[in-house]
Amino acid sequence: MPPTPIPSHTQAEADHAIPQTVLVVDDEPVVRLSLSARLKRLGYHVIEASDGRVGLDLLRRERPDLTILDWMMPGMDGPTFCEQVRQDPELQSSQIILMTGHDQPDQIAEGLARGADDFLSKSASKQEITARVQAGMRTAKLLRTLEQARDEIQRKQEALERELQSAAEYVESLLPLQGHVLPGVRVVHAYRPSLALGGDLFNVVPWGDRLMGLYLLDASGHGVSPALRSASLSTFLRGDSLLHQVGSNDPGVILTEANKRFPLTEDGNYFTIIFARLDLDSHRLSYATAGHGGAFIHRQSGTITRLTQPGLPLGFDITNIYSAAETIIEPGDRLFFLSDGLYEAPSPTGERWGQDRLEEAVHRLGQAPLEDVIPAVIAEAIRWQEQDLFPDDVAVMGLEVDV
Amino acid sequence: MSMQLKERPVPNGVILEMTGDLTYANREHFKTAVEAIRQKGCRHLILNMAGVRFVDSSGLGLLALVSQNFKLNQGKVSMLKPQSYVREIMSLANIPKLIPVYDNEQDALAGHQQAA
Repeated sequence: MPPTPIPSHTQAEADHAIPQTVLVVDDEPVVRLSLSARLKRLGYHVIEASDGRVGLDLLRRERPDLTILDWMMPGMDGPTFCEQVRQDPELQSSQIILMTGHDQPDQIAEGLARGADDFLSKSASKQEITARVQAGMRTAKLLRTLEQARDEIQRKQEALERELQSAAEYVESLLPLQGHVLPGVRVVHAYRPSLALGGDLFNVVPWGDRLMGLYLLDASGHGVSPALRSASLSTFLRGDSLLHQVGSNDPGVILTEANKRFPLTEDGNYFTIIFARLDLDSHRLSYATAGHGGAFIHRQSGTITRLTQPGLPLGFDITNIYSAAETIIEPGDRLFFLSDGLYEAPSPTGERWGQDRLEEAVHRLGQAPLEDVIPAVIAEAIRWQEQDLFPDDVAVMGLEVDV
Repeated sequence: MSMQLKERPVPNGVILEMTGDLTYANREHFKTAVEAIRQKGCRHLILNMAGVRFVDSSGLGLLALVSQNFKLNQGKVSMLKPQSYVREIMSLANIPKLIPVYDNEQDALAGHQQAA
């Protein structure tokens, strides 16, 4: 069938190359045909329905730009039709003009309340019909534009989330494997970023069979930029890189060099970090911290010793010298490195969980397997904050020395 | 938790009265206020922390940044009366090394540093 020729002077053609569609729903054939003919003369594509139910089907199938609807119809009347449209998420933005024989203010109010967008009296002049249809079309066009923009944003959002997810998988691939990292040294960890991408990272740096480095770092801020900065610092902290760029396995020397290479960013972002070196022959643990509070030893005897020294976070002062402190790790002792996201978990009233409660929880769990201790401690923090999601990244690395 | 900021001019400086939490969520608010004070040529910014319950890692970074920016203009930043929990966080990060801490306004204005 050849396309209906459209008069060149119409508003409809000025707006669109494809004619806009009007659905006319009216049970009286004479009224319906005469309104359709008038709309066609105005350049619109017209589809017709003789009752509400057929009208709803057409609305769903054809998605016309505008619906002109009779109030009084057998079966489903106009206002009921409007109500059904407004309750349907697919259809609810449809533009509807309700047509009545008499335009009583009460009736107009009821029609609008039940979901019509505008009114048209059956006795309206040709000019009024044209004007109201054009007004309805303007609104319909704006709504379509909004819906398209919304859909576009949603598509882009989904693409972005997929990207973030794959970046997050990359970051998690940087974490150490759990289990024995050296003969006699077992690592268990948990990693709960607050967004898809976290700014916390930790790892072990094996230097032969009897000597290892280990660290946990926390990049301030949330999202993509801290995750990238963390990945960059963790690359610097790889064994081969430390050998070439620092030439020492002393934690103080390593942090002093890292401090020069990772200055405060323009937004005031930086790292806190603890870096330690464990010598399995002498059982000496040498460690240096840069503004990092989350580190302690849970001795087999039950005592908990914090490994904290006051120290500027990395980048606060590039002339700063970091120096290492030392302690002894006996077989059966456990070393915990964690980010502040865990012990700074806020209760609903804003009170922080705190390091004391964290250490009490670890103490209470006693010599339960490390694999159970870490999830149990996280569960305790979750109970404190009364929600599953932590507002900050949470990272915990536990290490147990068996020999 | 939001943060309220109120400026009060003092001889040779500005006291910024802070109430609430200095955290990631409030960083833009704090940064904008402090930057406006710096742009006006203030040489000594005194942060009154008495009403600050909590400073997170983002907040610490902002304090370091603000102190660096003021130093660039030959200015300085001091801190007044941090609460004990905040004081603990500050000491752990050695912030008093960058930003002197005072227990009263007169000392802050005079610039006599007390032991943090």
